[in-house]
Parts: sequence; structure tokens; C-alpha cells
Amino acid sequence: MSFKKKALIFGVGWLALISTLHGYLNVNWPAVLNDHLPVSKRKITVAYIPVTCQLTCPVTDYISKFSDNGEIFLPRLFQGFPEIKEALISNKVQAAFIVAPLAIALVSQGVPIKVVYLGHRYGSAVVVRKDGPVKAIPDLRGRTIAIPSRFSDERLLLFRAMKVWGLKPGEVKMVEMAPPDVSGALAANAIDGFSMGEPFPSQAEMAGYGRILFQAREYWPDYMSCILVVRQDLIDSRPDIVQTLVDGIARSGLWLDQGKPNREDAADFVGRFYYHQKPALLRWALTKPLDRVVYSPLAPRKDDFDMVRDLMMETGVLNKKIEFSEYTDTRFSDAASTQAPWRYEAGIASAN
Amino acid sequence: MSTIAEPNKWERLVWPLVAFVVLLGVWHYLVAWSGTKVFPTPAQVERGIVELFHKKVLWPDIANSLRRVAIGFGAAVALGVPLGLSLGWYPAANQVVNPVMQILRPISPIAWIPVAIILFGVGDPAAIFLIFLGAFFPIVVSCVDGVSNVPSVYRRAGRNFGLSPRQLLARVVFPAALPQIIVGLRLALGIAWLVVVAAEMVAVDSGLGYLVIDSRNSGKRYDLVVAAMLMIGVIGLILDIGVRRLERFQSIRWGFRNEF
Repeated sequence: MSFKKKALIFGVGWLALISTLHGYLNVNWPAVLNDHLPVSKRKITVAYIPVTCQLTCPVTDYISKFSDNGEIFLPRLFQGFPEIKEALISNKVQAAFIVAPLAIALVSQGVPIKVVYLGHRYGSAVVVRKDGPVKAIPDLRGRTIAIPSRFSDERLLLFRAMKVWGLKPGEVKMVEMAPPDVSGALAANAIDGFSMGEPFPSQAEMAGYGRILFQAREYWPDYMSCILVVRQDLIDSRPDIVQTLVDGIARSGLWLDQGKPNREDAADFVGRFYYHQKPALLRWALTKPLDRVVYSPLAPRKDDFDMVRDLMMETGVLNKKIEFSEYTDTRFSDAASTQAPWRYEAGIASAN
Repeated sequence: MSTIAEPNKWERLVWPLVAFVVLLGVWHYLVAWSGTKVFPTPAQVERGIVELFHKKVLWPDIANSLRRVAIGFGAAVALGVPLGLSLGWYPAANQVVNPVMQILRPISPIAWIPVAIILFGVGDPAAIFLIFLGAFFPIVVSCVDGVSNVPSVYRRAGRNFGLSPRQLLARVVFPAALPQIIVGLRLALGIAWLVVVAAEMVAVDSGLGYLVIDSRNSGKRYDLVVAAMLMIGVIGLILDIGVRRLERFQSIRWGFRNEF
């Protein structure tokens, strides 16, 4: 066999091998096939990160797969808010769970999105090192605390607590970090504490090096952080699909609030199939106690958002007053108010 | 114009300038043509740079990045040049150390980030350590090669003139290896500048790398992101021009005589 022939066979073989491996390992086939469907049948992609503030997203996806109508959307996991923001701006995802202040900031910067629903209430906490120097909130003076984004309720929560104890905004150093990184950073002593959504406070608590300084509810009644935003062009062109999405999220919220068995079931399948976290960790975050995170009622309320907006302006991350109606569309949550929880039980492969 | 012909002085200045302007034009019209509302035009980036100046972040960030490079690169030179010279001088020692170094050398400094943070915490030392790692190996390797490539006839001639080993190293081998060492330094400085940006994206809260991440985190402000990227490019160019100046010194220039 000539060298040319050998090289050709080797080249073709190599190409076939890496193409097969690529197709098997890297390509997200449902997403690719979805892109080739006619527009009216195409499913939307919803972005989320692995925090319990957005638990309704994977829960809806998982349960709806057992329902008669099948799955509602394609979920896509991200690791931080900057990436989600970029995917949303460039229309790679049509809907996303993001922190409320980020949604307000993006709308004020001219990104065409609308808040349609909340992801949860409560479920964020400020955590410090167990054996560290911070015993109470005044000890935070001069310390470094990680937050998920400058546009996050976790940051505003910290400011609210600091205000109560007479700390000035500049007295605590805040660094932005991707939520999955904070627990390790605290363990490695790189930060003095963090303000994050579950399950990261639980992670630090379970592993024994973190202590919860305070829960969100202690300084912020009806606290909310992650909300569901949808691109305006989707609302205009296919309001029905947005309604189905919001209905699904609402039903999942009610299902999660039905009691401990559902929470434990959710911890199991979300941990294994979606968040790639230990189910035991999510079980801790979702059940100790049950109201550590709450998933109803989730309709956006003007008072909540006005307070977030005013706090944003007060802390210098928003420079113009923007009205509730400019960045929310409440018709979907209004219509979803009649929804009932999913009828789904673990082990019975049907849902409706 | 053939490739060997020496270009006129004005040509050397004008043509790159024309290429730069054409590039800006292409950029501007591509943005306009694609109708993107996200990626900025050159004019928006220019306004972004002005905004960064007015916010008084640009100079401190540039100074911080340069300071980290100066310390990390300086330490790499201070340790790498003597080590490289002695390894080149004692080939037996080089044979022992070389395999380990060839394993460590291809590891990107970025891969060291987690280790650097564990060793030094979040802050300047971690970033400087990464820059040091990035610059150290190219310097050592170029010194070893520089010394071992010195023709043995030079050494023999030196010995015949009665030079002691120390004098031989200082007055014959080092000057002979210098052109290659300078090339290694230039390469290492380029790598150090690449690494400082990456290191500042995770380990610290100042500098040009941090400026990119900070701009990214401030919502839809890609004009600031691109502005920070451009500043990184311009300063990298200035650093490179600075090292090229070194090559013009008489004591080094002999090694490049074919290029001039």
C-alpha cells in the first residue's frame, strides 16, 4: 500500500472516529433537532444555574416529561449569571432564571426582556467561617464577602442587614463570584463569607466549615431573588408558549410546597439529573426546615420590585427610576393563578 | 517593490496606519451590516475608553497590571537567567533537570490558578506567582540553548588566552549567548502579559484583566469590554517595542546582523 493511500485511510478513519465521539459526547441532540422544527413547533430554551432559587425550572422539566403533553421547554444549565446574561442578550436562550436586579438593570440598558414570574421566595443566606472572626453582623466591617453579581438580591440583602447595624456601604468589601465557587473559596479561606442562594449555604454548613450568620427572611420579609424573564419577541410572537411555561412553573411551585415527600423526591432527581449535586445536599437545603425555601406564591408583586429598584438606586447600580410596568408582564402570572399542583408521585410514571 | 528592498521611512509609517484605518472601517460596517445591538462600533468603544478615563479606573488598572508583570517577570529573570546559564554550562546537570522541566513547561499558567490560590490566597502574590511561572521556563530554556550553542572554538580560544572558568563564562560565553537570551526574554515578556490578564480575571480586584471581567459583569456594556481589550493590546505592543529596543544595543546586535 502506498504512503498516499495509508495517509488517506488514516485521515478518513480519524475523521470518522472524532466525528462519532463528538456526536456522542458533545452534541446536544434535542437542541439541534429542535432548531430544525418549524417555528410554531419549536421549543424554547430556558437557562438556569444550579441553585434552589431556580428549582422550579428542572422540576417542571422533569415532571412535564411524564405528562400527556410532554416536555414544555429545553432546559440549559449555566454556571453563573454573566454567561446567562450573554446567552439571553444574543437570543441563544429565549427565557432565563436570573436575579431580579439584573433583570431590572438589563431592561434599563435596553435589553428587550420582561419579568413574567418568580422562581422562589427566601432561600438565601449569609454564611461565614465557623471558627472565623465574624460572630455577628458588626464584625463584617473590613471583611471580604462574595456575592453572585453586583445586580443581585444577595448583595442588597447584605446592605439591608448592614444598614440595620449601622455599617456604611463601603465598609464591607464585596467580590463577585460564580455561586458554585463560593463554598470552596470559603473553605480555602479566600473569602470571609458569602451571601448566596441555597444549596451553597447548606453545603458550607454540612461540610462543617460554614455557619449561617443570618437567613434572608430575618432582614427581608417576603425575600425573593431569582425570577423568570422572557424575551419580548417571544411574548409578542408566541404568548401561548410563555403561558404554558409560566403555568408549568406555577404547578411545580405548588407541588414542591405540598410537603416533605415531594421535596425529597425533587432533591433526588434534580441533584442527579440536573444540578449534578449530591441529593443529600439538596435534601438538607429543601427540608431543614421546609420553609428554608418557599415556592408559592410566585406572582410578581409591584411592592417587592419597587423596593429592589430603590435599593439598587440607593447602592449605586441603577441610575434611572424605571417603573414596574416597564419590565414586567403580569398577564401570564394572572392567568396562572388558577393552576393546581402537578399530580405526580415518585415511581408512577405519569403526570398531569 | 521586491521583498528585499528597504521600504522608505514614510512607507513604514503610512501603510500600517492605512491598514489600521481600513480595519476600523471594516469593523464599523460589519457591526452596522449585522444590525447587532450588542457588539459595539469603534466609535462606541472610543467613548467607552473616555468613560473609563473619567471614572479614573484606567490608569490605576494599567499601573497595577504593569506592576505585577514587573515583579513576576523580574523574579523570573533573576532566577531563570542564572539557572539557565549554569545548566547550559554543566550539561550533565541539564540532563538531570531537563525531563522535569519539559514536563512542567507545557502546563499553562492558567492551569496553576487553583493551586496558586490555595498557596497564596486571593490577591497579588497569586497573580505574580502565575506570571513568574509563565515567564520562568522560556527564560531558562533560552539560556540553556544560548549557552550550549556557543561554538566550542570560542571556548577553546578563551582558554588559550588563559581565562579562568569564571572569566570565560562572563566574558565569552555570556556575551555569545546574549542574543538568544534576549529573544527568550522577549518571548517570556509576551507570555507574562498574556498571563497577567488571565490571572487578574480570577485572583485579584484590580488591573486590566479585572477591568474586562468587571465590565462584563456590569450588564450590557460590551463597549467597555472591548475598550479594555484594546488597552491590553496597545500596552502589549508598547512592551514588545521596548524589548526590541534592547536588541539594538551594540553588544547584542551582532547576533542579529543578518536581519538588519
